[in-house]
Amino acid sequence: MLKIAVCVKQVPAYSEGLMDPETGVMIRAGLESVLNVYDLPAIETALRIKEEAGALVDVFTMGPAKASAVLKEAYAMGADRGYLVNDSCFSGADVLATSYTLMQAIQSTEDYHLILCGRQTTDGDTAQVSGAIAKWLDIPHVNWVTEILHVAHDSITVRQAMEEEIVTVKATYPCLLSVERSIFLPRLPSLKGKIAAKKKDINVLSLADMEDQEESHYGLTGSATKVEKIFPPAKTAQRDIIQKDSQEAANYILEVIKKVNK
Amino acid sequence: MGRQLIYPMEERYQEYLSDESKMVGKADSISFPENEGEILEIIAEMNACHTPVTIQGGKTGIAGCAVPARGHVLNLSHMNQVKAFNKTAQGEALLKVEPGMTLLELKKAIKKLKTEEELFWPPDPTESSSTVGGIASCGAKGICSRLYGDTRKYIQAARVIQWDGSVKEIKRGETTVSFLGREKDLLDVYLGGEGMFGILAELTLRLEPRPKEMWGISFFFEKKEDAFTFADNLMTEDLQVEGASIAAAEYMDRATIDAIEERKEMMTALKELPDVGAEVAAMIYIEIHGMEEEAVEEIAEILMELAVRCDSDPDRAWAVSGETEIEKMRVFRHAAAESANLLIEKIRQREPRITKLGTDMSLDKEDFQSVIAKYEADIAQEGLKACIFGHIGGNHLHINILPEDYEEYEKGCKLFEAWAKEIAAQQGKVVTEHGVGKLKKPLFLQTASKDCIEEIQRLKHTYDPAGMWNPENMI
Ligand SMILES: Cc1cc2nc3c(=O)[nH]c(=O)nc-3n(C[C@H](O)[C@H](O)[C@H](O)COP(=O)(O)OP(=O)(O)OC[C@H]3O[C@@H](n4cnc5c(N)ncnc54)[C@H](O)[C@@H]3O)c2cc1C
Repeated sequence: MLKIAVCVKQVPAYSEGLMDPETGVMIRAGLESVLNVYDLPAIETALRIKEEAGALVDVFTMGPAKASAVLKEAYAMGADRGYLVNDSCFSGADVLATSYTLMQAIQSTEDYHLILCGRQTTDGDTAQVSGAIAKWLDIPHVNWVTEILHVAHDSITVRQAMEEEIVTVKATYPCLLSVERSIFLPRLPSLKGKIAAKKKDINVLSLADMEDQEESHYGLTGSATKVEKIFPPAKTAQRDIIQKDSQEAANYILEVIKKVNK
Repeated sequence: MGRQLIYPMEERYQEYLSDESKMVGKADSISFPENEGEILEIIAEMNACHTPVTIQGGKTGIAGCAVPARGHVLNLSHMNQVKAFNKTAQGEALLKVEPGMTLLELKKAIKKLKTEEELFWPPDPTESSSTVGGIASCGAKGICSRLYGDTRKYIQAARVIQWDGSVKEIKRGETTVSFLGREKDLLDVYLGGEGMFGILAELTLRLEPRPKEMWGISFFFEKKEDAFTFADNLMTEDLQVEGASIAAAEYMDRATIDAIEERKEMMTALKELPDVGAEVAAMIYIEIHGMEEEAVEEIAEILMELAVRCDSDPDRAWAVSGETEIEKMRVFRHAAAESANLLIEKIRQREPRITKLGTDMSLDKEDFQSVIAKYEADIAQEGLKACIFGHIGGNHLHINILPEDYEEYEKGCKLFEAWAKEIAAQQGKVVTEHGVGKLKKPLFLQTASKDCIEEIQRLKHTYDPAGMWNPENMI
C-alpha cells in the first residue's frame, strides 16, 4: 500500500502585524490558532489519492502540545495517524532545523512513498521547508503542483505550474510534492470524523524517537539563521477621491488598474 | 465657524434614500454628525424649521425603518467610537460606544480590550455593517438568540437626545412607564422603538464571556420532510448538557441553497466551502456553544444520533470548531439573506414597484413541520417562487417571495396579509426581529391589538409631541 506523509503547521488565524517592540517577535498570545490554509490542500490531495488508489495517510506537525489540534483536524478529515513532533530542544528552529527535524521524524516512522507539503505557511512564509526536507532525504522534489494526473505503484505524474509554462512531471517514489492551494478545495471535516477524531490518539515524537539524537542538530542551535527583528512593512496607503460621472469614473479606474499591473 | 453639517439631498446621496428593504424614500437634506454636539446643532436647526428627522444607522434594515418619508436624514455612521470600558463591582463588563459603530467595528474593538477572559456582545444579526444603534432600535437578534435571548438584555444604558434637544441618561432598572397595564423599563421604550422616540446617542453594552468552545454543524437532508422531523426533534429532544447549549438552529431550503451557490463565483468567502450536493433538499445549521469541550462534544453526539434517525448522513455533515472556521459557516447562513435581497434587487431593475417580500413572523404553538408545510402549500397554490430560511426556534422563518412581475408581487402581499392574520389569531408574532418600519406597517396595523396601537401612539405623543422622529414609521 502507498504510504503518504503530510506535513502541516499550526499558525495564528490572523495577524494584525502586532510586534513586541522590544524583542521584535510577533505577538501570538491570545490569537486563535488554526491549521495553515496552504496545508489543507496537501491533506486533501493525500485523501483523494487514498480514496482512489488506497493509501495510508500520516500527518506530521512540529510544534507545542496544543498543535495536536491540527492533527485532530486532519483526523476529522480522514487522516490515519497523526504525529506531533515535540521536544523542548526543537524550539527556535529556522527553515534548516525545521526541515531537518521533520525529515528525522518522517524517516524514523515509515518508509513513505510520497511526502506532501503545502506551498508555504501564513506565518513564516518562506516556502522553503518542503524543498529542504527533500534535499535532506535526497529525493525528487516537485513544487507548484496544481494537478495530480496519475498515481502508479512506483511513480506519480503531476502538473507543475512554472512561471512561464506548465510542465508535466513524472516522479518516482519516494518523492516530495509541494502543492498549490488551487489543487483541490479541501473538504470540511465531517461530524462523524470530528467526533471520532476526538477519541483518537496522537503519537508524540521526541528527540529520543529520532535516528539522529544529537541535540545540537535541532532547534535554535541547529539553525543557520537567527531572526533579529520582524517588522511590518511601512504602510503606503494612498487615497484619492475622484468625483466623475460613471462612464468617466470607470475609465479612470481602468487606467489605474493598467498602471498598477504594468 | 464650524464645519458645514447639513447638505441638500443631491444625487450623490441617493443611496441614503433606501435601505435593504429596497424601498426608496424622499428627503430634502442630510447630515453626518461626528459627535453629540453636532447632533444637537442639527436638531436645533430642524426644530426651528419644523422639519422631521429620519435617523439612520447602517441602512441594513429590511423593513424600511430608516427610509426617509420626508424632511431630513440624520445618518449616524460617522459616530463609531468606543467611549469607555469598565468592569463593575459585580463583575459586569460594560462597553460604552457611539451608536454608529458597526458590528464589525464592535467585534474588533472588543478584541482590543485588555481583559483576562475573552468577551463578546451576544446580539449578532449577521450583517456586519449594521450598527449598534440600528440593532438596538430594531431589536435585531440574529441566529444565536435561541441561546442568548433578547438584545435588550445586553444593553444597560443609553444617552437619548429628545425632540427638544435635551439629553437624557437612561439606565436599566431606574425608571418605568406603564404599557398595556404593565410596567415597562423606560430604556425598553427606546430599544425596539425604531427611532420613533428619540436618538440613541450613546449605548452602554453588556459584554459576556466568550464561550471557549464553539462547534458549527451543517446537516444535509435528501428529503425535506426529514429536515422537518429533525427540526421538531430539536425542540423536543433532551439536549440539556451542563456546560454547553445549542446556540443556533437554522433551516435553509433548496431554493435558498441554490441562490447562495449562484453567488459563489462573486464571493471569496463562500468559495472556501465545498458545493452542496444536487441531491440535497434542505439543510440545517446548528451552533453549539459552551465552556467545556466534553459538554459540547456530548451535544454533538446526541445530534449525530438524531441525524441518523432522520436520514441525514453524519459522514457528510460539515462540522467545524473555533471562531475562524465557524465564521465560514456563518458566511453561508448570512448569504441566505443577502442572496434573497440581491434577487429582489435584480427583479426591481425590471419592475421598480417591487420591494422585499420577506416574512419575520414566528409562531411557537405549532410544530415546525405543520408551519412550513402550510407556507409551502400556500406558495405552491399561488404559483409563486420563494426561498425559505430562518430560525427553527419559535418557527421563526423568513419566507422570501421572489415575484416574476408585479402581479405576482401583489399575490405575495396578499399571502403575507393572510399569514399575518392567521399568526396573530394564534398569538404568534407578526414582526419578530426586523422591525415594523414602513414596509410592515400595514400588516402590523391590521394584526396588532387596538390597545397595543393606542399605547404606542400614547408613548409617541409623550416622547415626541412635535412628531419630530422617523415620520411614517410603525403607526
Ligand atoms: C443580509 C442581511 C441579513 C440580516 N439578518 C438578520 C438577522 O439574522 N436577524 C435580524 O434580527 N436582523 C437581520 N438583518 C436586519 C437587521 O435588522 C439590521 O441589520 C439592523 O437591525 C439594522 O441596523 P442598521 O444600523 O442598518 O439600522 P438602519 O437600517 O439604518 O435603521 C434601522 C432603524 O433603527 C433606527 N436607528 C438607527 N440608529 C439609531 C439611533 N442611534 N437612534 C435611534 N434610532 C436609530 C432607524 O431610524 C431605523 O428605524 C439582516 C439584514 C441584512 C441586510
